Amino acid sequence: MAGVNGSDAGDADDSPGRADGPPEPEAASVALDGVGKTYPGDGDGGAVRALDDVSFSVADGEFVCLVGPSGCGKTTLFRIAAGLTEATDGRVLLDGTEVTGPTTDMGVVFQEYHLFPWLTVAENVGFGLERSDRSPAEREARVDEMLDLVGLTEFRDAYPKSLSGGMKQRVAIARSLAVDPSLLLMDEPFGAVDAQTREMLQRELLDVWASTGKTVLFVTHDVAEAVTLADRVVVMAADPGRVREIVDVDVERPRERGDAAFAEYVGRVRELIGAGP
Amino acid sequence: MATETASPVGEGDAFASAGLGDGRRLLRGAVGVAAFLVVWHAVSLTQDPFVLPSPVAVAGAFASELASGDMTAALSQSVRHWVPGTIAGTGLGVAAGVAFGWSRLLDDLTAPLVRTLRPVPPLALIGFAIAWFGINDWGAAFIIAVGAFWINFYAAYGAVEGVSEDLLDVGRTLGVRGDLDAVRSIVLPASLPGIMTGIRTGLGRCWMLVVASEIFGVPGVGREIIRASNNLRVDRAIAYILVLSLMYLLVDVAFRAVERRALAWRA
Repeated sequence: MAGVNGSDAGDADDSPGRADGPPEPEAASVALDGVGKTYPGDGDGGAVRALDDVSFSVADGEFVCLVGPSGCGKTTLFRIAAGLTEATDGRVLLDGTEVTGPTTDMGVVFQEYHLFPWLTVAENVGFGLERSDRSPAEREARVDEMLDLVGLTEFRDAYPKSLSGGMKQRVAIARSLAVDPSLLLMDEPFGAVDAQTREMLQRELLDVWASTGKTVLFVTHDVAEAVTLADRVVVMAADPGRVREIVDVDVERPRERGDAAFAEYVGRVRELIGAGP
Repeated sequence: MATETASPVGEGDAFASAGLGDGRRLLRGAVGVAAFLVVWHAVSLTQDPFVLPSPVAVAGAFASELASGDMTAALSQSVRHWVPGTIAGTGLGVAAGVAFGWSRLLDDLTAPLVRTLRPVPPLALIGFAIAWFGINDWGAAFIIAVGAFWINFYAAYGAVEGVSEDLLDVGRTLGVRGDLDAVRSIVLPASLPGIMTGIRTGLGRCWMLVVASEIFGVPGVGREIIRASNNLRVDRAIAYILVLSLMYLLVDVAFRAVERRALAWRA
């Protein structure tokens, strides 16, 4: 039951989405293999099983969204995938190599932006580059390229305090992409901006995805967002957090929210989330 | 819609407060001082000069001390205590605060010592100042350094403790490795506002400590205040107290300008 093979978990209509067989890390950009997390209790029992046997993989260049009810451990799973939290069981493989800590091969974007407030927009974007072996000229060119990608060239010398939420998140995305990671990990990145900005950022992210070919693992609680963005939606269940089903979103992009097929997928994912333990 | 909240940086909004609104504040301040001087003068007419000299007498004492060169001599002596004491105390305090705030191991090792030494007032260490340095500039500087140390230690310690874990996580995903890199590239800049507040508080406290540091006989402004008081020359004592106040004001204004510049990124 453990493994979910990314390539054939797709037939969402009649398969449970948890096909047997080992994951294929060779073909996948990132694979979660039996990941579990238990938070120890405070002496008198009460240990909490936050994640149990989570396995799925994201193929090279694929866009996968992770949705689930609150408390299903989405953020814990995200942190484990990013190497920021240690799993109790299982492992995360990035291009077949086990992830043991944060790596610049994964770009990480958080909901609350977490820009460095003492650095300008350009300096934020260049932060990771300072630790790379690029020459100063190459770094500057890369920063310019990233600022152009997210449309913030004219704000390069501004401090984050003077930016709107949407602009801050664009800086954060540019900062994570600057070091050219092979995988982009995003934890509810558009959860803190207004609806209009969110849709704009979603379109922009799809453009960036299309132009860079990055693999994306995107955590969200917004089902419509997941169906808008993802090739596949991993639906999680709570208590303990686990994969309920993986839904292939077989709709051409750009996707229109008014489409019948779109609404059908949204309804289906909502149903899976609401199905209880 | 996103762009309207954004403005190019580098504008002088640090000086915006020095515009018209500030003129009114200055005027009100001047009125307050004038009123205070009038009341002071009125009350002093009913008292002996050794209880409360008039502001005119204080101004006279100030002028004559300045003219004789005694005041500038005393000030230059005190500056020789204040500068090394403040620099050493601030530097060590910030360094220790950052190190102990960042490293759990160092914090655990030193916590009992720190809690034992913290409540000791600098004045209580005069014996050590004399024994270790002698009745000289270094002894006085030591007393000042102790005072500066604790203020800066706790300010830096608290500021480092308050650095967001999330920023450190972001740093790690962008290649920050090891304590030194993390402290240099994230912890220090993130805690700079708290550290600066500590330094500023310490600068003022060190001028207060000038009096304590000269109580055991080292010459300087503090010594002059103590001597004038002992001789019931309250006008002279107040004149020298004014010197400390003026020095504090000068240093504080200068430091605030530095602070504004260094923290221009702050909301």
